[in-house]
Amino acid sequence: QEVTLRMHQFLPAQANVPTNILDVWADRVEEDSGGRIEVQRFPAMQLGGTPPELYDQAVDGTADVIWTVAGYTPGRFPTAEIFELPFIAGEADAEAMSRAYWTMGERHMFDGELSDVHPLGLWVHGPGLIHADRPIEAVSDLEGLKLRAPTRTTTTLFENLGAAPVGMPVPQVPEALSRGVIEGAVIPWEVTGALRLPELVGNHTEFGDQTLYTTAFLFVMNEDAYEALPEDLQAVIDENSGLEFSAFAGAQMAEDDGPARQAAVDAGNNIVTLTPEQVAEWQAAAQPVTDAWIEGNADGRALVDEARALIEENAM
Amino acid sequence: MSDLALGFWSFPVLLLMIFLRAPIGLAMLLCGTIGLWLATGSPAMFLNRLKTEGYTTFASTSYSIIPMFLLMGQFAALSGMSGALFRAAESWLGHRRGGVAMAAVGACAGFGAICGSSLATAATMGKVALPELRRAGYEGGFSQAVLAAGGTLGILIPPSVILVIYAILTEQNIALLFTAAIVPGILAALGYMAAIALYARRHPERAGTMPPAPMAERWAAMARVWPVVLVFALVVGGIWRGWFTPTEGAAVGAAGTGLIALVSGRLTWRLLGEALVATAVSTAMIYFIILGAGIYNGFLALSQVPQELAAWVGAQGLGPWVVLALILLFYLVFGCLMDSLSMILLTIPIFFPLVQSLDFGLTPDQTAIWFGILVLIVVEVGLITPPVGMNLFVINAMDRATPMTRTYGAVLWFVGTDIARVAILAAFPAITLFLI
Amino acid sequence: MRRAVEGLALALALAGGAVLLALIALVVSSVAGRELAEASRTLFGARVLGQVPGDYELLEAGAAFAIFAFLPICQLRGGHATVDVFTSRLPPAAQRWLAAFWEVTLAGAIVLITWRLWEGTAGKLPRGAWVETTFILQFPVWWAYAAAFAAACGASLVALWCAGARVADAAAGDPATGS
Ligand code: NA
Ligand code: NA
Repeated sequence: QEVTLRMHQFLPAQANVPTNILDVWADRVEEDSGGRIEVQRFPAMQLGGTPPELYDQAVDGTADVIWTVAGYTPGRFPTAEIFELPFIAGEADAEAMSRAYWTMGERHMFDGELSDVHPLGLWVHGPGLIHADRPIEAVSDLEGLKLRAPTRTTTTLFENLGAAPVGMPVPQVPEALSRGVIEGAVIPWEVTGALRLPELVGNHTEFGDQTLYTTAFLFVMNEDAYEALPEDLQAVIDENSGLEFSAFAGAQMAEDDGPARQAAVDAGNNIVTLTPEQVAEWQAAAQPVTDAWIEGNADGRALVDEARALIEENAM
Repeated sequence: MSDLALGFWSFPVLLLMIFLRAPIGLAMLLCGTIGLWLATGSPAMFLNRLKTEGYTTFASTSYSIIPMFLLMGQFAALSGMSGALFRAAESWLGHRRGGVAMAAVGACAGFGAICGSSLATAATMGKVALPELRRAGYEGGFSQAVLAAGGTLGILIPPSVILVIYAILTEQNIALLFTAAIVPGILAALGYMAAIALYARRHPERAGTMPPAPMAERWAAMARVWPVVLVFALVVGGIWRGWFTPTEGAAVGAAGTGLIALVSGRLTWRLLGEALVATAVSTAMIYFIILGAGIYNGFLALSQVPQELAAWVGAQGLGPWVVLALILLFYLVFGCLMDSLSMILLTIPIFFPLVQSLDFGLTPDQTAIWFGILVLIVVEVGLITPPVGMNLFVINAMDRATPMTRTYGAVLWFVGTDIARVAILAAFPAITLFLI
Repeated sequence: MRRAVEGLALALALAGGAVLLALIALVVSSVAGRELAEASRTLFGARVLGQVPGDYELLEAGAAFAIFAFLPICQLRGGHATVDVFTSRLPPAAQRWLAAFWEVTLAGAIVLITWRLWEGTAGKLPRGAWVETTFILQFPVWWAYAAAFAAACGASLVALWCAGARVADAAAGDPATGS
């Protein structure tokens, strides 16, 4: 082969995202290049550093391709944060959200927040939900609940709702749950399998056809590594990346929710599905978080409206 | 040269530097940076890594357990817990043949229950017990061997800095590892006492006895070790029961022993300063090795040595038990020359995936915990195997009149019980796993 | 000169130690607050106590400063782990030159780490509209980097002095043997 690309990310090799999405991308690129590109895969931060450094590793070329969570560096990717606002998805699924996110990226991020890398994919995961040691139905059930929240916006949200958010890395969640350091966690179904969550808590709160929140991911390539490729190999990368790949990744993550949810059902756990009236109570309580984001960002109102319109458009 | 060959050749170069007396962390940092430079053809890679590597390594909330446990040991020594432990054990055992030495091992086990480091345990108990052993008529080499071996209980009995590092490297549950270490740690103390009994029978002239202490005195001495019990129960029990995370447990332990030192009236500003400086020196030494190992391991991963090694071993068709035996043997041999921390940091990223790929009839998590305890023991043996045994150096430095060779001779008895214990724990994983 | 360097190393070690003590107090009060939160609610009708917000972020920032501040005293007191068996049979002059060589290399490494930490700090400075902040307290990450960099500068100074002193020792030879 002519080119070796080092792909670095934080999950173990056998997790859903590496096997079902990143490896798929890497295999396609290798195959379509006729073996001229090799993608070396480094899971679990094998090349060193901590997950928040992944993006910088792609910027400075420590890794050629990285996958990371936009929120690991709070404040750095404000446009991505829009897709993490509570209930912004409405009834849209992860695929529609991901299409909207990539389009917003093209319009606002590639020459701004992401100008120092070559973007390959932007997507979100399926609906995040609450997993807790007690049934959470009304907002008041959250009072004093020690809970691990995944993003900056959800941390603010749960604080406003009376819970006691605890910040900790995902791998520490099972240990913290089993020892009562936290009493609940907010994550999508897809992650619960690896964390053995259905064994640790008995209650899961879903929000009907609404999505409480999602997490925005970044899948990007080092700019120089991309520029250094001959044109035909650049074309191979391009064909396997972008809008359609982002949509595929979002859809795949939502699909991975299914077996994990089934495992909780099989374990005999209590799955709470909120009624539209109950969801409305949550939405009202969450509104100040969206308002605060709009306040805190230049053109905040316009950006949120634009993202909403794109989400609705793609959900149809 | 291919990346793989670079990775392979970096080993002998690293060892050569270390044997030429390079600071170990520095040697790993150099091998890692130069390796990254050669493998990628430009210095940009390691220069970029170093922009954040120093900060994020030192800022790690998991590793911050280390200075806290070290400070906890300093405070425990300051408040007189080491002396109280030794006197309690001595009052019960001192009149038997080899009894004072057994008391020293018992006191080491007790101190190990509130101290996370072997060197600190050896140094602290050495200060208390070495003069006592000599006064009771024990020969110098034997006395030093007893305390060097007893010092390893500092890490074998939880809390344990090495187990924390193993847990971080392999993403395992620290509380479970601590729990799993309790029974093997007690077996270690019993094994050392057996070694003392045998040695004293073989060389009665090298051991002495004390007059028996009256019963009332024994109970009074026991009553004085309550702070040790309290702190161990609070820290290890609290982590186990889930009152706090291991990091929080370490902070609670340091605060608790600090408070006890304060109440004991021995904690002056001057001594507080000395305790902080001693903690600073050991902490910086450990973190510098962690930093160097982080860069070096990043280079090894890039060179694909760990993946290739696992594939190669898989292709040889060796049984899992043979592979395990070879790994443990490797640790024993290298333990004669290297210190335990750098061995763990260097080898776990290579050996752990390999061991996880083998079938011992256990779940992956059980394998991880059981293997962690086995590795813990074999690297700790390295602290007392000649010629490079850090514990031997620490103790010998307190009594230079005794030649090192005499200590070397006596310590082999303890190494023998260590090897027997590893064989038993390897053959019967249930001994390690039944508590968890 | 020697006294000034020793004073600097000691001051940094004690400053790092004071931060370590403060962090221990912080974590303990956070644990206590968390465990007593429910009790305070039943007692006062509101959650007066609770986990200290952002405790782990403060722990990270403080620990990074403390460890950098611990480096100089470790080097000054010869605290770094080494393996001496193979070199202890070399002639004294060779041992001194070897020690000087590694001390110079170590100083180079520490200066390198400090320089890169400066670049790391610069990378966290506000860029346009955004600045990287921590998760909960949302203080700029570069504050913590800058504190660590200040300590690293002290470590570099001490390292350079140690390197110079070792080279001078080696060049002067052992006054007893004249070698
Ligand atoms: Na211990
Ligand atoms: Na050894």
